[in-house]
Amino acid sequence: MDGYLITVLSNIGMISFVALSAYILLLSGQISFGQQAYFGIGAYTAGIATVMWQWPLAGALVLGALVASAAAGLVGLATLRLSGIYFAMATLAFAEIMRIAAELLVYRREIGGIETGPDGIDGFRDIRYFFANDVSPLQTCLIVYVLLGMVVAALFMAERTRAGRMLRQVGEDPLLAEVHGIDVMRVRMAAALVAGAVAGLGGGLYAHLMTYVEPKSFDIMLGVHALAYGLIGGLGTALGPLLGVLIDIGLLESTRIFRGYRMIVFGGLVAVLLIVRPRGLLDENAVGRIRHYLRRRGHAGD
Amino acid sequence: MTAVDLAQNTLDGLMVGASYALLAVGFTLIFGVMRRLNLAYGPTIMAGVYLGTAAFISLGAPTLVVLVVVIIGAALVGLYVERLCFRPFGEGARAASMVASFALWMQLEEAATHLLPQHMNPFPPLLATQPLEIGPLLLRADHLVMLAATLLIAGAVTYLLARTKLGLAIRAVIDQPRAAAIVGIHVERVMMLTFVLASAIGGVAGFLIAATDGQVTHMIGMWATTKGLVAMMLGGLGSVKGAIAGGLLLGILEAHAQWFLGPQVRDMVAWGLLFVLLAFWPGGLMGAKALDRTMAVGRRV
Repeated sequence: MDGYLITVLSNIGMISFVALSAYILLLSGQISFGQQAYFGIGAYTAGIATVMWQWPLAGALVLGALVASAAAGLVGLATLRLSGIYFAMATLAFAEIMRIAAELLVYRREIGGIETGPDGIDGFRDIRYFFANDVSPLQTCLIVYVLLGMVVAALFMAERTRAGRMLRQVGEDPLLAEVHGIDVMRVRMAAALVAGAVAGLGGGLYAHLMTYVEPKSFDIMLGVHALAYGLIGGLGTALGPLLGVLIDIGLLESTRIFRGYRMIVFGGLVAVLLIVRPRGLLDENAVGRIRHYLRRRGHAGD
Repeated sequence: MTAVDLAQNTLDGLMVGASYALLAVGFTLIFGVMRRLNLAYGPTIMAGVYLGTAAFISLGAPTLVVLVVVIIGAALVGLYVERLCFRPFGEGARAASMVASFALWMQLEEAATHLLPQHMNPFPPLLATQPLEIGPLLLRADHLVMLAATLLIAGAVTYLLARTKLGLAIRAVIDQPRAAAIVGIHVERVMMLTFVLASAIGGVAGFLIAATDGQVTHMIGMWATTKGLVAMMLGGLGSVKGAIAGGLLLGILEAHAQWFLGPQVRDMVAWGLLFVLLAFWPGGLMGAKALDRTMAVGRRV
């Protein structure tokens, strides 16, 4: 595979984590403009862990996901009882505070004779774990997709459990869910914690693949894109957000068919698509039909 | 720090806050009738301002003509956004409307860079006079015009809502769209008119902001969306008075924060205030009643 293709695939993989993070909250009925904050927190935390504390990558990624998840939990305590635009604005406010905090964050130390670490608005450069350990771009791309596959598989399995159904029910009608004895706040909190961890994991990968991360990498544009991917691809399955990312980055940005007019085409397409399918391409109906079809074929093969 | 600095900051903040207030008035009108967020509001304004700038650069249009172009441009683009992102959806598909308006935001930004490829473009200044001196304080004349325009438009909108037939229809649609339809109000037309009116008000705000800056970049779209949103949420949803109060408060707060803490912390303070307010006092300054109403609607099955 050539280098460009690998880079594009890696980008699709990394952004998919944020898209999945926004998707999990969408399922719980909450529109978050702020999942990019946990992406950023994961990126900075994991980067600091490998560069400045010389942790191994796996530990750094786990730490990034955990710290992001904890932050999401704290924000959740303050915001989860809000709904609609109030929740969306509160999460956006938090994300912007984090972005500006990253602009102010200076934590420099000398590691191996070179001064390194987050340097305010210039960001955090030289996160060279993959270079130092001779990991090739193809291998890093594989790491991204193995982890992404694990997250998607976990979400697939979770959807079939009681907890997964509770999540969808809370999203569809919180009042009805409460009547059925579901603790809506606990379900939302669980969704927020998982969503934070998923975004944090993606951020950790991003920092190491790009070898740098700067406050601009997680501004409002990333958050709103992440939200849009789920709605374009569909809210019926965890593959929906992935499809959304694939369409935008894979098809439009990377192939450069519509150079200079990409957003004019894409913006119009998305708006029209949403009129036809307000819950995305792979919405609940489509997923139900596909499942039915697969089951029938499975029986026919018996 | 002296009393003069404090007074000067407050005065400057009040003037900048006037533009935020105008943005928030437009935002709150749209949110009131649609109950959905129009992320393309700022980019709509940007599109109007860019059309005006193009008229100024290529045709040498005088300031007044530029103003008219900006207002009509913003109103037409607003109509386009309403048709594509809001009219086709019911209130149930709130997320779809929002994401569709985001998609048009991206579209409008790219279209704007095709219209005027340069990053920074000149805009006709409003008044090129020396600042007025009031005792030790300085006051820019164009800022004064901005404040006056804001108060005038806020007054006109309040009058429209409280005293005219269209205003009555708008209030009915805000309260109970279905009941409004039953008593014979053409709900879709009222929504469209409100949307276009709000976009035109945004156009005035965009014109004033660009004219006091003397230049314009495509960043004005995102800037207008975020500042208008924050000001609207600070003041409380669905209230014109709240939008004005929120805008002025945000302006004053930012002016002081910038003076004492620098530009980065200024933005942090604004977002921090919004976060704390939403977490502990989600109704905003004057929106308690509006919030009760939203919650009541939400409680109904």
